[in-house]
Amino acid sequence: MSAHRTPFGWFWTEFYENKVAVVALAVVALMILLAVFAPVVSPQDPYDLANLSLLDARRAPGFVGSGGYTHLLGTDPQGRDLLSAILYGLRISIQIGLAAGFVALSIGASLGILAAYLGGRLEVLIMRIVDLQLSFPAILLALVLVALLGQGKGQLIGALVAAQYAYFARTAYGAAKAERGKDYIEAALATPLSGRVVIWRHLLPNCMPPLIVVATVQIANSISLEATLSFLGLGLPVTEPSLGMLISNGFPYMMSGRYWISVYPGVALIILIVAINIVGDQVRDQFNPRLRR
Amino acid sequence: MLGFVIQRFLQALVVMAVMSVIVFCGVYAIGNPIDIVIPPDATQDIREEAIRRLGLDLPLWEQYFIFVGNLLQGDLGRSFVFNIPVLELIAGRLPATLELVLISTVTATILGVGLGIYAGYRPDSWVSKTIMAVSVLGFSVPSFWVGLILILTFAVNLSWMPAGGRGETVEILGVPWSFLTLDGLWHIVLPALNLALFKLAMMIRLARAGTREIMLTDTIKFARAAGLSEATILRRHLLKMISIPIITVFGLELGSTLAFAVVTETIFSWPGVGKLIIDSIAVLDRPVMVAYLLLVALLFVTINFVVDLTFALIDPRVRKGAGV
Amino acid sequence: MIKSKKILASLAVALGMTAGAASAETLTMGVRGGPESMDPHFSALGPHAEAAKHIFDTLVWSGTDLQIEPGLATSWTPVDDDTWEFKLREGVKFHDGSNFTAEDVKFSIERIPVVSGPTTTTIYVRRVAGVEIVDDYTLHIHTDGKAATLPNDFIRLFIVSSEAAADYSTPETAAEGFNSGAATIGTGPYKYVSWEPKGDLVLSRNDDYWRGKGAWETVIRKEIPNDSSRLAALKAGQVDVINYVSSVDYLALERDASIDALRGDSVYIMNLQLDQRAKTPLVRAKDGSELAENPFRDLRVRKAIDHAIDRETMVDIVLEGLGKPANQMMPPGFFGSNGDIPTPEYNPAKAKELLADAGYPDGFEVDLYCTADRLPGDGAICQGLGQMFTQVGIKTNVNAISKTVYFPAQARLEYSMFMNGWGTLTGEASYTLGGLAHSNNPDVKLGAFNRIEYKNDDVDTLLQAGAKMLDADERRATYEQAMAKVMADKAYISIVQLQTVWGAKAGTLSFAPRFDEDTLAFFIKPAS
Repeated sequence: MSAHRTPFGWFWTEFYENKVAVVALAVVALMILLAVFAPVVSPQDPYDLANLSLLDARRAPGFVGSGGYTHLLGTDPQGRDLLSAILYGLRISIQIGLAAGFVALSIGASLGILAAYLGGRLEVLIMRIVDLQLSFPAILLALVLVALLGQGKGQLIGALVAAQYAYFARTAYGAAKAERGKDYIEAALATPLSGRVVIWRHLLPNCMPPLIVVATVQIANSISLEATLSFLGLGLPVTEPSLGMLISNGFPYMMSGRYWISVYPGVALIILIVAINIVGDQVRDQFNPRLRR
Repeated sequence: MLGFVIQRFLQALVVMAVMSVIVFCGVYAIGNPIDIVIPPDATQDIREEAIRRLGLDLPLWEQYFIFVGNLLQGDLGRSFVFNIPVLELIAGRLPATLELVLISTVTATILGVGLGIYAGYRPDSWVSKTIMAVSVLGFSVPSFWVGLILILTFAVNLSWMPAGGRGETVEILGVPWSFLTLDGLWHIVLPALNLALFKLAMMIRLARAGTREIMLTDTIKFARAAGLSEATILRRHLLKMISIPIITVFGLELGSTLAFAVVTETIFSWPGVGKLIIDSIAVLDRPVMVAYLLLVALLFVTINFVVDLTFALIDPRVRKGAGV
Repeated sequence: MIKSKKILASLAVALGMTAGAASAETLTMGVRGGPESMDPHFSALGPHAEAAKHIFDTLVWSGTDLQIEPGLATSWTPVDDDTWEFKLREGVKFHDGSNFTAEDVKFSIERIPVVSGPTTTTIYVRRVAGVEIVDDYTLHIHTDGKAATLPNDFIRLFIVSSEAAADYSTPETAAEGFNSGAATIGTGPYKYVSWEPKGDLVLSRNDDYWRGKGAWETVIRKEIPNDSSRLAALKAGQVDVINYVSSVDYLALERDASIDALRGDSVYIMNLQLDQRAKTPLVRAKDGSELAENPFRDLRVRKAIDHAIDRETMVDIVLEGLGKPANQMMPPGFFGSNGDIPTPEYNPAKAKELLADAGYPDGFEVDLYCTADRLPGDGAICQGLGQMFTQVGIKTNVNAISKTVYFPAQARLEYSMFMNGWGTLTGEASYTLGGLAHSNNPDVKLGAFNRIEYKNDDVDTLLQAGAKMLDADERRATYEQAMAKVMADKAYISIVQLQTVWGAKAGTLSFAPRFDEDTLAFFIKPAS
């Protein structure tokens, strides 16, 4: 274990030098915590209809509602506390981003490593499909898939995975292919070590750093893509409002000056995505040997 | 070389054939357009009549072969909703999308390359840092959100710009264009800006990275040693050297901008193909969906094919089919 | 109530500023939806018919309050049990100068089944068994049995020129012939110039129109489906008038001195529907266990639900004032609406009491389904209902979904409690009660939209009798009686009647809002 501590400690020291990235990391951590503990920290359970009152509907930030507390970010058209709705929405957005990211990572990495390991026709076929898909815009693919699969969390995650696995496959393939060519792998394969061991012990660990980089970016992309789809009315059902859905619901009120219904969920979404991207940028720079001083 | 071209061409054909099956079956597997095309209060007779009219009573494979047969004659079918040939429908909306996409990509490229070169040339100035910060934002902020903020700021609060629509158009060769009228131009500003932002960020990054690398190369050092002015160096050497990757990306990105136009067109009610496809998805107008997807697939397969050929011309190693 | 509309209408005739960008000779209308083709017989959807009304006329005209009036036909009378005689207007000319005669009517009626699109226009001629030309200006329409409401069916039966459309009357040729303008020859107030699907419809005035000359030389009908964009276009002066101002923008618009907001009642009423089958799928006890029986079959439960609904709050807050509480499935004043139906009372305490009486002191749980994208406020009303029911103890899971999912599932009887709007587009009760309140019976062509298996034998008897009564007063009384019985049963609970808002540049235009929500250029006049 202690052998691992050193590289990790070294990684952290370097990360710590970029103050912006550290702040971003703290923000991401905070938002994840808020999402996880949304039921505890929210002033209201926004989806228990028994505590809502239509009389509180569309009130500006600072309004003290029938519940007796201040709605810091105002209320939505159903009289729901917007801060609570955002916290719960954050929960759904992060859930979907993480789920889609991890499934896409597993599928993509397996395909990429398999292609690199097996070689031959299968390699050509898999990578040809992956490349073709990479040239096709993810948003369009996700859009069509959601339209085909219908509304719902599972369907949405499926569409996001299908739109994104190719990035992981490409990345894993690149790293695994480079590693596969090295002499020690040939040597390992010559010994009675099974292929599975080679994959698990040697190829996969070497693919991890670039995959982690891609994963951070792709999780942010998943969240953003989900929001876009929900905004277009093709994402989740209204009863499971992610941040994108909250923005979409508030959009019609923008013209009549009730900006907060749409703007605050949007601000939360932007903070989350930008923070993840900044962290991702820093991690990528640290893994990229060319930028090493 | 010819063998390579033929091989890639055949591959492209196979891809298109597979795409047509996937798209057709995929689109036809979902929902029942009948429930959407006819009013909720239609009787059973009307329903069956409509199913027969749209040819939905035939088995899937038969529908597919009819579709392919017509396709080979250049007929992509008729819209369920409008009862006019789909191609006509798409062609009618294409100019709006094309002008939006072209204006935003060209603007993004010119502006992005300029800013990117500056940021790469003077990496430590605060201007460059600002440029880079903007590019991070442009990269990560979802474009629909940018669109909303643009509308809120410029259309709602300041009332400077129209919130949507295409404005006045002029017909040239029978095609309406809006960028030729003042009103039309005024309408295109916000959507084009919205669509351009992501590309702008990408071009800035690309140009900056290219500039940084090239400025350290020997060519530039020699040029400087030869006493050429900085302006000449930038113009003659730098621009030339970074233009190749930028032109490649420009071509590739043209396609994806077309896709992103779906979002921008929806927000700004821009009457282009993207808006059409969103509307068609909502009413399950299958022929339009299928035709749009196939056209997009064709576009991407063509772009890929051209890129492959270009690379093969530049780099002979690729020609040997060294792989992937 | 109709008076209040007139008052609102006259508000629009305020002293005005001059029109902005648009010249007085051109009217540019920003509308939410448009035609699907220039062939008036292609689709039965509202916006399609609305556009067609500019170019084509109908035999029977439906007025601002949906009362039927002479159109191209000057009179109609039943001559025997299955024949109506229509007298046609003489001296009417088509846009190409040819005379309008009985031949054109016969041609149009017979053309419909051939060229109709999926949203079929055959509903307008469903009762027609044959058309007999007596002379150039007299027709006998034979029906399959007694057809008391045949003239009502004809309000969207557009008359095309039998000469101009002769070669464009097959499914393959119709769209091309009409979209190119070759066959788009009507007798209406405006002549066809050009049309782009989902884009602009351009029209020029028909100076020889039989109702008189329209006010505008040119009319441009621009499709702008997005509510905010349409309003923005009006504010920017790109269009002179828009329809369907959303309730979200209405309050702000009323304070805006540069825009006149003209409010009219809509034919659409939101109805909650309660499944009456012995077993219903989406109701359960709060702990998830199955209930012994469908609670909605108990009148006390249905009454409790009615008492739980705060209609005033629905109107004032959810719709931001754009609506009226409803107590029956048709707007007041319609043929068959009953003025004696009591106003429902909001009383949550009584609701809880009734639930306890019915054996549900702790309430139960139900999934409520409704459309979220069909009519203004539908999703919001649905979520409001969810709150109100939950607060009297009926835990309600709200599913406000796309109409593309809702209606097919509703037709498959998958829901237990659901809400959607119903518009009495014909202005009379046989359409609404015949479709919703009769038990579903294809043999008598009644009850096709009864998706809750509601059956009241008295109602069935009344509705079957009403459909055959040729005497209008007798028929009206029969439908009023049926309406009272249906509403008393509370399987259908009407919630609110919607209202529609038109917007125009302040003081520039005057027109009366129409119940069917049509925006017709001919009836829009410059204010002065």
